[in-house]
Amino acid sequence: MLELKDVDTAYGAVPMLRNVTMSVQAGELVCLLGPNGAGKTTTFMTVCGVVRPQRGKVEVMGKNVAELGTENLAALGVGLVPEGRRLFPGLTVLENLRLGFDAVSGGKLDFEGQLDKMSSLFPRIRERLRQVAGTLSGGEQAMVALARALIGEPKLVVMDEPSLGLSPKLIGEYFEITREIHSRGTTVLLIEQNAEMGLSIADRGYVLVKGRVAQEGPAKELLASRAATSLYL
Amino acid sequence: MAELLIQQSVNWITLGSIYALFAIGFSLIFGVLNVIHFSHGDVAMTAPFIALAAAQALSIAFGATAPAWLVLAVIVAVLAVGVIGAVLDKVVIRRFRDAPAMMALVATVALGIVIRELIRHLYPQGSNPHAFPRLVSGVAFEIAGVPVSWLALLVVAVTTLLVALLFVFLRLTPLGLRIRAASEDRIVARMMGIRDGRVFRATFFIASAIGAIAGLLFASYAGVTRFDFGVMAGLLGFSAAVIGGLGSMPGAIVGGLIIAGIEVLAQTFVPDGASYRLVFVFILVIVVLIFRPAGLLGRTAMEKV
Repeated sequence: MLELKDVDTAYGAVPMLRNVTMSVQAGELVCLLGPNGAGKTTTFMTVCGVVRPQRGKVEVMGKNVAELGTENLAALGVGLVPEGRRLFPGLTVLENLRLGFDAVSGGKLDFEGQLDKMSSLFPRIRERLRQVAGTLSGGEQAMVALARALIGEPKLVVMDEPSLGLSPKLIGEYFEITREIHSRGTTVLLIEQNAEMGLSIADRGYVLVKGRVAQEGPAKELLASRAATSLYL
Repeated sequence: MAELLIQQSVNWITLGSIYALFAIGFSLIFGVLNVIHFSHGDVAMTAPFIALAAAQALSIAFGATAPAWLVLAVIVAVLAVGVIGAVLDKVVIRRFRDAPAMMALVATVALGIVIRELIRHLYPQGSNPHAFPRLVSGVAFEIAGVPVSWLALLVVAVTTLLVALLFVFLRLTPLGLRIRAASEDRIVARMMGIRDGRVFRATFFIASAIGAIAGLLFASYAGVTRFDFGVMAGLLGFSAAVIGGLGSMPGAIVGGLIIAGIEVLAQTFVPDGASYRLVFVFILVIVVLIFRPAGLLGRTAMEKV
């Protein structure tokens, strides 16, 4: 469903990713771990087509992202949760959700029905629909950002450090929701710094260090070996 | 004295409405693209020339001059200028979207010169002023013996209607929602499947068409148009947008009214004020830039270029 093959990227003269190869199969929940500056967000931006690889390629559902363009990913069924939530702060929660719905659903679903589903998954959203997104708390913004990615029923969700800045209680809630989304059949690439939490719900994991994949394997093995966490904690 | 105040109030509201329309174009384009489109005034002031040419062509094709031809010519001009704006974005301005702001600034200033010179050389007797007809004539009513023209009413009514339509469009239509989303975060907008190129062209079309209406009202109010009117229209519209707060629609309206107010006050109460009314206007712009760089109702100060 998602594949990075020998990907090198750079910001100007500064190399960011080096020879990164990884994949996410349909139905999997894969966790990409790494310390600050490892290249996690660059990986997210490369998967989205915002950053173009200097070498190698990124394929989503068999299509080359560099040729496809960021704006066509959603129509393929890809929901994206960027780092720092990045809601449209001047738009209401409802408008943010509407944009996420229009992007992914392709007109095949009923918005009100999907809104009800999101409200049951994130109970606090219903009462915040008319509120301007920029005025929500960090936790609420995190939930709306995830709901915006999910409301069109994507086949693949890619999340970039969703737990960043959340309280421990909210992190627990967030990972529980991610596990639930995955159990319903959605493929997930979770890019995380919180290794224990990430690996505890993932099928497989990759550890990114200084722009290279330093380790990969089943999540349980990575968690048990503690190798993944000891690499950067 | 009362008559003078009423007369100048009518002039203020009329002129302020026209400036507000110019400013709305600047604000819309800056709000969505983060580009100061310095040739917006020149693009807008092509509208009277297109309308004159269209009216003349219609008269030649169908015989005698008729009011209907003028209405049709005005519609043609508004649509044509909207298309010109969208084409300029596609051909020129989009290339500077991700470039340093200074490059976009220089490019749009240069574009304005190109537009003015093209009018001057391609339009028959383009260097000379051309009389522009009043879109409506006559007196609508009187306030304390001061006549209020139909044209003044038309200007205020059109501005009010356009502002209301723009508000409804941006708030209640899918394209309006996409424009607002792209104006807040282009990258995430693309992640939401929004084709930013289309959004930007639509924005340019709307801003330029509104500018065209402002240009037509300006020419009709002045009774004349000239190839270089775009410079002053652009400067006043941009100043109104800056005073109100670039990117803010209510700010554009407030800025337009403030600038027109200063002009009218200078002309009325300062001896020979008409000659240097613009001195007062641009002093205010400087004061606002010093003390409120984001403008009276704006949220974002212009970045250093």
